[in-house]
Amino acid sequence: MKKRLLLFIFAVAVYGVHAQETFPRNDVKDNRAGLFAFTNATIVVDAQTTIPNATLLIKGNRIEQVGTNLNVPKGYTTVDLKGKYIYPGLVDAFTSYGLSEPERPRGGGFGGVEQMTTKTKGAYNANQAIRSHYNAADEFSIDTKMADELRKQGFGAVLTSKPDGLARGTSAFVSLTEKNDNTALIRQKAAAHYSLEKGSSTQTYPSSLMGFIAVLRQTYLDAEWFGSQNPRPFADNSLEAWIQTQKLPQVFAATSWMNSLRADKIGDEFGVQYIIRGAGDEYKRINEIKATKATFIIPVNYPDAYDVEDPFDAERISLADMKHWELAPTNLAVLEKNGVPFALTTNGMKKTSDFLTHVRKAIENGLTEATALKALTTTPAQLLKVDDQVGSIKKGLLANFIITSGKLFDEKTIIHQNWVQGQLYAIKPLETRDFSGNYNLSLNNQSYTLEVTGEPGSHKAKVKVNDSTSFDATATFGKELITISFKPTKQSTGNVRLSGWSEATGWKGKGQLVDGTWITWNATRTGDVTKAAAKNTPAEKKEELGKVIYPFTGHGYPALPPAETILIKNATVWTNEADGVLQGTDVLLKDGKIVKIGKNLNEPGARVVDATGKHLTPGIIDEHSHIGAASINDVASNSGMVRIGDNLDSENINIYRALAGGVVAVQVLHGSANPIGGQSALIKLRWGESPENLKIQGADGFIKFALGENVKRTSNASSIRFPQTRMGVEQVFVDAFTSAREYEKRLNAYNTIPLKEKAAAIKPRRDLADEAMLEILNKKRFISCHSYVQSEINMLMEVAERFNFRVNTFTHILEGYKVADKMREHGVAASTFADWWNYKWEVRYAIPYNAAIMHREGVVTAINSDDAEMGRRLNQEAAKSVKYANISEEDALKMVTLNPAKMLHLDNQMGSLKVGKSADVVLWTDHPLSVYARAEKTIIDGKVYYDIEKDAENNKVLHADRARLIQKLKNAKKSGMPTQRPDSRSQAEFHCDDVLGEESLEHFEH
Amino acid sequence: MKKLAYILLFVLSTVGYAQPPIPAKSQAKPVALTGGVAHLGNGQVIQNSIIAFENGKLTIVADATTVKVDLSKHEVIDISGKHVYPGFILPNSQIGLQEVSAIRAMNDYNERGELNPNVRALISYNTDSEYIPTYRFNGVLLAETTPAGGLISGSSSLMEMEGWNWEDAAHTADIGIHLNWPAISRRQFDFNTFTFAESPNKEYDKEVGELELFFSEAVAYGKQTSKEVNLKLEAVQGLFDGSKVLFIHANTSKEIVESVRFAQRSGIQKITMIAGASALWVSDFLKENKIPVILPATHNLPDRNDDDVDLPFKLPHLLAQAGVTVSLSNDGSLHGGRNLAFYAGTAVAYGMSKEDALKTLTSNTAKALGVDKRVGTLEVGKDATLFVSKGDALDYRTNVLSHVYISGKLVALPGIQEELYERYSNKYGHKR
Repeated sequence: MKKRLLLFIFAVAVYGVHAQETFPRNDVKDNRAGLFAFTNATIVVDAQTTIPNATLLIKGNRIEQVGTNLNVPKGYTTVDLKGKYIYPGLVDAFTSYGLSEPERPRGGGFGGVEQMTTKTKGAYNANQAIRSHYNAADEFSIDTKMADELRKQGFGAVLTSKPDGLARGTSAFVSLTEKNDNTALIRQKAAAHYSLEKGSSTQTYPSSLMGFIAVLRQTYLDAEWFGSQNPRPFADNSLEAWIQTQKLPQVFAATSWMNSLRADKIGDEFGVQYIIRGAGDEYKRINEIKATKATFIIPVNYPDAYDVEDPFDAERISLADMKHWELAPTNLAVLEKNGVPFALTTNGMKKTSDFLTHVRKAIENGLTEATALKALTTTPAQLLKVDDQVGSIKKGLLANFIITSGKLFDEKTIIHQNWVQGQLYAIKPLETRDFSGNYNLSLNNQSYTLEVTGEPGSHKAKVKVNDSTSFDATATFGKELITISFKPTKQSTGNVRLSGWSEATGWKGKGQLVDGTWITWNATRTGDVTKAAAKNTPAEKKEELGKVIYPFTGHGYPALPPAETILIKNATVWTNEADGVLQGTDVLLKDGKIVKIGKNLNEPGARVVDATGKHLTPGIIDEHSHIGAASINDVASNSGMVRIGDNLDSENINIYRALAGGVVAVQVLHGSANPIGGQSALIKLRWGESPENLKIQGADGFIKFALGENVKRTSNASSIRFPQTRMGVEQVFVDAFTSAREYEKRLNAYNTIPLKEKAAAIKPRRDLADEAMLEILNKKRFISCHSYVQSEINMLMEVAERFNFRVNTFTHILEGYKVADKMREHGVAASTFADWWNYKWEVRYAIPYNAAIMHREGVVTAINSDDAEMGRRLNQEAAKSVKYANISEEDALKMVTLNPAKMLHLDNQMGSLKVGKSADVVLWTDHPLSVYARAEKTIIDGKVYYDIEKDAENNKVLHADRARLIQKLKNAKKSGMPTQRPDSRSQAEFHCDDVLGEESLEHFEH
Repeated sequence: MKKLAYILLFVLSTVGYAQPPIPAKSQAKPVALTGGVAHLGNGQVIQNSIIAFENGKLTIVADATTVKVDLSKHEVIDISGKHVYPGFILPNSQIGLQEVSAIRAMNDYNERGELNPNVRALISYNTDSEYIPTYRFNGVLLAETTPAGGLISGSSSLMEMEGWNWEDAAHTADIGIHLNWPAISRRQFDFNTFTFAESPNKEYDKEVGELELFFSEAVAYGKQTSKEVNLKLEAVQGLFDGSKVLFIHANTSKEIVESVRFAQRSGIQKITMIAGASALWVSDFLKENKIPVILPATHNLPDRNDDDVDLPFKLPHLLAQAGVTVSLSNDGSLHGGRNLAFYAGTAVAYGMSKEDALKTLTSNTAKALGVDKRVGTLEVGKDATLFVSKGDALDYRTNVLSHVYISGKLVALPGIQEELYERYSNKYGHKR
């Protein structure tokens, strides 16, 4: 027995009693001073400072002193922690500890009877998902089970908030004491919380990601307006709370790196720097994540390995999912390397008990221990402004600390004790008796050597008959008692079983031989076990990890395509200009522009592409697309405040598929569920770029309108939403524009108030929907209107003329051929399907001659897709006008290039091959209107974003990477790691017609 | 008076326009098409052909450069510079059973219940469906009208895209039974993540068990000498003697193998698989078991993110290369049926030869439907169901038909869409 340290006897988990003054008593007074001295410990004060051989004094729930050479005053209970470590109690910056689960009622979606207003009773916000009035402190109550789980991972205090709503109210900062709620609650309103999840709200609006963003933006504006008035115009407890909680730390819960960027953008608009609860996938776009300048709270929720035993089933798992499984443990190291500050959380983990293991795995993958510790102590404490309470071991702070057997992040380290507010929670016995050594074991007149090895608390025993024969023994070492059992000979069918107690020199006791005879035995320590020289195990070969690809999905690129100077030689060039189609012509692309078109061009240093027998055309532009958006439909009759651009999804595979079909740019439109839909995003298909970089900078603003069956909610028999007829649809427009004019008057009136009177005046409330309508009236935003039958087409033109503006584009416009003359007069463009018809009543009279008739009548006409499949072969859709109506081939090609560029106001930079225009071109293997033509190269801004040969090579790389990961997953399963079923997730394809209306619900459920 | 006359004229013409085209008269006189490039549908091409037919049947299919025939009794039509093809066959379609899909009253293809082998698609078949003229317009002259839904949807029939009523239009009644093999896993949309998530179908074993029981009882029923008539068991008897085809709709590779083995165990003679890209993983199995496959349109997106972007385009070629008999269908909305030719054209762009691609619309389809004795190729004795096109019928700009014959009947091409085209071109004074 080499060392002997003071032990506690732990019968119950909680020790120390500090009664609360105001509470009634049901016993004699038992107030203890709670004076403890922890001596001879290595004290990790914080991530920067470690004091060896130090002493910690605590008094009651506070730290009294820390340092070396401290005199332990009298009256302190001394705990000798020689060889042990003391760390600050860890802080989890994002939990919902001690709060009830939010209810998740059905509803709030698209089907059935719409719920137009909030169901929250009382004077709360107009939107049910704005729950800023909620305070976790009002509800918080100790959850002993979860407290125990968290303490076992070293946590002493946590932030707790309720994950419910877009605005979630405030969180509380609480300790993990089990004494009582009053003690546990350290700070009532610790932070204000937000998210992009609707939670328990059953109100129909908002029902899309972009709608969630719009509601948060509008609420910021509402709060500003509301707060500027005294007395208030009405009571709104939610807005009051929103206003009051702005000074708190603002925490935004994001569920993906893309949502983190979206949240940050909301913050930028309103001057708020959120603390962002990330998703653990930040490594996928670290540059953009870094650029948010936010501090993150990061979960360590690594996915389980996939079960890939069956090769057919394994095919269902996407490369992206497998890669994430592989790379998720590198996330924290990537964040650290890029200087992104972060705290850690157990939030989102399947098992809290994996927390430290997962952090250690992150350390194996390059996270430094110091940063890990910081992320669990000072960072969250400072972030939540509770560093005067927790996060380090300093005088005056709460006595929250843990005692460990070694360095916290060493694999073998165990947590012995977790002290919370000066109260002890025992986890693993503070085992201090070291029994290791050789003993002479004598029993039944025989003498054996008993060899005890290993660390205290996990000793192993072996019984040696002589130098060549030994048996493993089962041995249990208690503080005073010992049990040993072993086979005395090789042939023996049973064990010798011994039980005994410790003596100064070893043990003695009673036992039974194999035959049941009782005997006495003793064991005397003879010396230390000679340690076998540590085996020179070769350093474990570090497994190679796959690379991050952009976007993070199959067919992503390891690096973005470079800007190139490209000379395309000897092509058939479709200029879409007066020159028409030029044979045997060269085109030079440089600095992202078309620089020269002519014969026998030369350009030193250019990459020369031999295009003999091939066709070069302007890149295809799709006026009506829904690819690359996370959601496309909200449900308010006037949804003008929602913006597709707020929820672009750069990782959507359909972007690449469209590129492979020669598409360079699309208008991502809102869906057609509402008379007034959301604002469009005009994007170029820059595969691999971030969502923001897809946008065409400087492009005009567009907005979706819609008419007819979809907006009447025809397929939802129980819909109650206004309008239900085409008559009502017109009124929605008239109402919206009238309201916008009134809005403008209010703004103008305010703006013309003399400066000195302005302070006293109330600034009109900014309304995001009115603003969008006003932009239309002022010709700063342009309508693309989903439309089918002639009556409604005439109606919208008439309404526009009444309000003195013009409709920019009718999209779909399947009966445009019936009113093409009126359209020409109005000056509206038409973007239609080539040959879709009859899938609903209002398209019964759609004809494949529609585009030709409108074109011949002088309407700028395009062919669109509204569909990710058709969108990747729009050249073929254009060819149908040649087939059916004998339109000239050049005019047909313009319907998918120049004409859509015109209606999107992009024709000054795109749509034709003209010197000075953007180098957005496609090289085709064949006549571009032929079914046999394949896009060979799709070039955007002079960069080759799709190349048919590279695609073939990349497919091989993709398959090789899949194969490598599948082997790795197999090994992971073999090594006993938990696995999950290989269930795939796939992205939704959106159509404005049948997706995210009620039709879509059915569609999705099929 | 003048005004009244205009109004009358308008009313009359409106009435005329509102109706589908009038069905054609039977072939009165032998017809010979001479000088055209004949694509026979079996892989062969005759550059300078004579194609003649009488009483609805092909009588001459010959090379004009080598064979001299007396055509004096024929109505001879010179189609030099044009191409002649066997009528395309559209399999697995709800043609005639559905009109405007969004309107409940216009859907007539999905009977209630799980086991409906006794229901017959052709009973609902509407010869006045407005889709039919649009199909013919692009060369689709035959289609399998097919019930859907449940485990066993019912019995399908091959219809001519022409006729006064369903009895007239039926080319071959009740060619087979459609079986929807239960899915091993199900896809469900998750509104939280806006993705589809797969999970195992808990009903799988139960549903397969139901089918096992049904078919084993059907076999036993066939052997019973005295029995109470059971319409459902009766309806599948043709599967055991090879007079009907079992069409199996299956999604995944495992479902394909399991369903084929099931059908073979049940003693079913002719099996045709209706499946997608998953057939590729078990192409050896399909080849060895001689199971023809009806694929969805090539104009589809790949199922999975990691799939080659052009997988649906090259799928027919890849499967055909693996030795599987492949034909193409239209799996989306009914209006897409008229694009069948271009689905095959796309397969050509991605590796198939043009004549092989033509087979996926003609002879291969006829085999998959069990009707290859009468249709699918231009061969003497077969139906004179064929069309003449300005050029390559698999490409957009050249798929322009001048003559369409269904069982020898000359069929008018324009439908309501063409009439509307004419009406509004006239309104605006456009040259067409």
